[in-house]
Amino acid sequence: MAAAKTTCTYSFRTQTLAAVRTEGLTKRYGTTDALRDLTLEVQRGEVLGYLGPNGAGKTTTIRLLLGLIRPTAGRAEILGVDCQHNPVEAHQHLAYVPGEANLWPGLTGAETLHLLGRVQGKVDVAYRDGLIARFELDADKKIRAYSKGNHQKVLLIGALMCRPDVLVLDEPTSGLDPLMEQAFRQCISEAKERGQTVFLSSHILSEVEALCDKVAILRNGRLVETGSLADMRHLSAVTVEVTFDGPAPDLAGVSGVSAVSANGPDVHLQVSGSVEPLMKALGGYHVTKLLSREPSLEELFLALYGGQDAADEHAVAG
Amino acid sequence: MRLTSTPLPADRVVLRQTARTAARSAALWGSLFGVMVASSAISYTQLYKTQAERQHLAVAFGSNHASSALFGPAPQLQTVAGFTVFKTSMTLMILGAIWGLLTSTRLLRGEEDAGRWELLLSGPTTRKGASGQALGGLAVGVATLWSITAVFTVVGGRYSKVDIAAAPGVFFALALVSTAVMFVAVGALTSQLASTRRQAAAYAGWLLGASYALRMVADAGVGLHGLIWLSPLGWVEQLRPLTGARPLALVPIVVFTAVVAFVAVRLAANRDVGAGILPDRARAAARTRLLFGQLGLTARLVRPTVVAWLCALATTGVVLGVIAKSAGMTISGSSVKTVFARLGAPGTGAESFLGVAFLIVAILVAFVAAGQVTATRVEEAQGRLDHLLVRPVSRVAWLAGRVGVAVVVVVAGGIVAGVATWLGAASQDAHVTIATLLDAGLNVVPPAICLVGIGVLTIGVWPQETSRIVYTVVGWSLLVEVLGGVTTASRWTADTSLFHQMAAAPAVSPNWTTGAAMVGIGAACAAIGAMAFHRRDLRGE
Repeated sequence: MAAAKTTCTYSFRTQTLAAVRTEGLTKRYGTTDALRDLTLEVQRGEVLGYLGPNGAGKTTTIRLLLGLIRPTAGRAEILGVDCQHNPVEAHQHLAYVPGEANLWPGLTGAETLHLLGRVQGKVDVAYRDGLIARFELDADKKIRAYSKGNHQKVLLIGALMCRPDVLVLDEPTSGLDPLMEQAFRQCISEAKERGQTVFLSSHILSEVEALCDKVAILRNGRLVETGSLADMRHLSAVTVEVTFDGPAPDLAGVSGVSAVSANGPDVHLQVSGSVEPLMKALGGYHVTKLLSREPSLEELFLALYGGQDAADEHAVAG
Repeated sequence: MRLTSTPLPADRVVLRQTARTAARSAALWGSLFGVMVASSAISYTQLYKTQAERQHLAVAFGSNHASSALFGPAPQLQTVAGFTVFKTSMTLMILGAIWGLLTSTRLLRGEEDAGRWELLLSGPTTRKGASGQALGGLAVGVATLWSITAVFTVVGGRYSKVDIAAAPGVFFALALVSTAVMFVAVGALTSQLASTRRQAAAYAGWLLGASYALRMVADAGVGLHGLIWLSPLGWVEQLRPLTGARPLALVPIVVFTAVVAFVAVRLAANRDVGAGILPDRARAAARTRLLFGQLGLTARLVRPTVVAWLCALATTGVVLGVIAKSAGMTISGSSVKTVFARLGAPGTGAESFLGVAFLIVAILVAFVAAGQVTATRVEEAQGRLDHLLVRPVSRVAWLAGRVGVAVVVVVAGGIVAGVATWLGAASQDAHVTIATLLDAGLNVVPPAICLVGIGVLTIGVWPQETSRIVYTVVGWSLLVEVLGGVTTASRWTADTSLFHQMAAAPAVSPNWTTGAAMVGIGAACAAIGAMAFHRRDLRGE
C-alpha cells in the first residue's frame, strides 16, 4: 500500500460516473483547516469506511458532500452532480443518516417517516414496513418519547426506505443495541447486493471491517491512507508468535522484524514486507510452534495513529 | 492539564448558574426599564412646563376611561411622579412579566428539554433541591432587575425639576418588577405542568393575557372595578407607587408568589424528569394530512402557536371593541385631543380611541412575526433543517415557505383583530363599520412584514443573533412609540420605529402607499437575507 498521500490509490477516472467524487475539497474555519485538499472517489456499489479520530474532518467531509456547508476550495459530486451548485438534483440520489438525531418532537415516528418519504419523493412502502418490523420500531410513539436508539432507528428507516443510489452514514449505529446493530449490518449488506453505494463514517471498526470494501483514513483534515482492507493488511506488519525448544534467539536484527518481545521460549514480533528473512533466521533453530495472523482493522488503525503521534511528538521536540 | 480553579460547591451549582444567567439578562432589561422611567420623568418637565398645562392634562386624563383601560388609572397627572407612573408602569409591568415568564421557563423547563437538567441532577442534589436553587437564582435575577431600575429611577429623581425622593423611587421600582416576581413563579409552575418549554411559556402567557384583559375591563369604567382583585396586574396597580403608596397591596403579590413557587417546587419533587404533570400523549395515531412536504410541515409546526396568538388577538380585539364607545366619549378635553392628535389619531369618539389602541394590536402582531422568524432560525440551529435539506429541497424554497407562512399568519392576525374589534364594538353600538376595522386590522400588517424581512436578513447574515435582533427591534419600536407620544423625539429617532409610519387607523384612513413601502423594504431585506442564506454554511446554536 502506498504511503500517506492525499489522492486515493484506488481512484480511477472512467467514463462511468463515480458515486461520490471529491477534488481538492478544502474547508477552513478561520485559521483552522478542518479538511485539506481531499481528493477521493467511491465507485458505484462500493462500501467505503471513512475513519479517523474525533476532529479529523469526517463530519466536515459529509456536510460538504451534502451541501450543508460551503467549501473553501475544491468540489464534490454525487453521481456526477455538483453538490454545491445543484444540491437538489444531487439529493435525489442520496439519503443521509446523522450520528445525532434531532427530529421534530411533536411528530410520531410514523408521521416523521411519512414526511421524510414525501420530501424525498419516493418510498418503497413494503420495504419501509419491513424495516419498521426488523428494527422493532413502535411508530405510533411521539419522537419526544423515544430513546436515543429509537431516534436512530427512525433516521435509518427514513434513509433506507427510499432505496437511494448513495447512502451517506455518519456514525449511524450510535445508540443501537447489538441486535439492532446486527439488523443494520444486514440492511447494508442487502443495499450492497442491490448495487447501492455506501459512504460509512464510523468509530466501530468491527462494523467497518465487516461491511466495507474500502477504507479511507483521515487525520487532521488530511487523507492519510486509502485502499482495500486486503491491501492495507498486505502492506502492513504481520503479527508472528514463535515458540522455541529452548531459549529464544535474538531476532531484533532480522530484516523487516520489529516490536520483538521475548518471554522465555516464546517470542512475539511483527514483520513488515516479506517474511523470507525471518524464515531464514528461524531455520537454524528448533521451532515448536509458529503462528502468524494479519492485523485487524483496529490494530492497523491504532498502529497508524500511534506511529503518527510518535512522529508528531518527534517533530515537535525537534 | 492542571485544574487551578476551585470547583463550585456541588450543592450550589444550580443556584450559581441560574443566578448568573438570570442576572445577566436582568441587567439589560433593568437598564431599559430605568431609561424609560428616567426619560419619561425628564421629558414631562420639558413638555409640560407650566402648572396650568399640567392641571389641564390632569383634568383631561384623570378620569379618562380610554387611557385608564389601556394604561391604567392616571391620578396626579399634574405632578412629575404621577405622570411617570401613568406613562411607564403598565408597559413596564407587562414587559417585566414577559421577562419573568420567559427567563423562568428557559432556565427550568428549557434546561430540562436540553438534557442539562439531568446532568445536574446526577450530582449531589435532588429534584426539589435543584428546583429550589433555580428559584433562588431567579430571585437573584429579579433583585438585579429591581436594583438597576431603582438606581436609574433614583438618579433620575435627583434631577431638580423631577424631584422624586429616593424611598418612593425605590418603591416604584419594586412595583415595576412585582410582575416579574410573580411571573417568574408562574413560569416555574408551568415548567412543572408542561412537558416542553414552549408549552410552559404558552401557559404562562395565557395567564398574563387573562390578567391584562381582566384589568382592562376593571379599569374601563363599565362598573366592574372589583375584577381588579382577580388580576395579578391589578394587584400591582393597587400599590399606587409615587401617588399615595399602599405597601399593604404587596400582601397578595407576596402570597401569590410564595404559594405558586412552593407548589412548583413540590411538583418538581414528585414528577419524573422530562415529563410534565399535565398528561402529554406519548402515542398518537398518525395524522399526515399536512405532512405532504416542507410547506405543510411548517404549517403543522406553527399551528399551535398561531392558534394561541389568534385567540389572544381576538380577545384583545373584542375587549378594545367593547370599551371603544365609552372610552371614545371621554376624548373631549383639548389636552387629550392634543395628545391623541400627536399620536396620529385626531378627533373624538370610538374611532379616535381605537386609532391609538390599535398600537397594541400592531405590537402583538409584531410579536407574532418575531416569533415566526425565531422559530425559523431554531429549525436550523437545532439541526432539524438538515433532515429536509439533505433531501431534494432547496434552501431558498424552504426559507420562502417559512416566510410565506409567516406573512399569512400576520395577515390573518390583522384580520382576526379587526373582525373581533368590530364584534366588540357592534355589541355596544359603537357605530364603527366592519370595513373600517378590517382596514385597521390590515393596517398593522406592513410593519410586521417589514420585521419578517429584517428577520430573514438576520438569518442570512448573522443567524446566531436572529432572536435577539428581531425582539430588540420590536422593543425599540415600542419604546419610541411610548415615549414619542409625549416627547419631542427627533424625526430620525421616530422613524426608526416600525410603527411610526403606520397610520392611526381607524381614526384616519390607512396610508397604503406607506404600507407598500414598508412591505417593499421587508421584501428587499428578505431577498438579501435569502441570498446570504443560500451562500453560507448552515450553523447550529
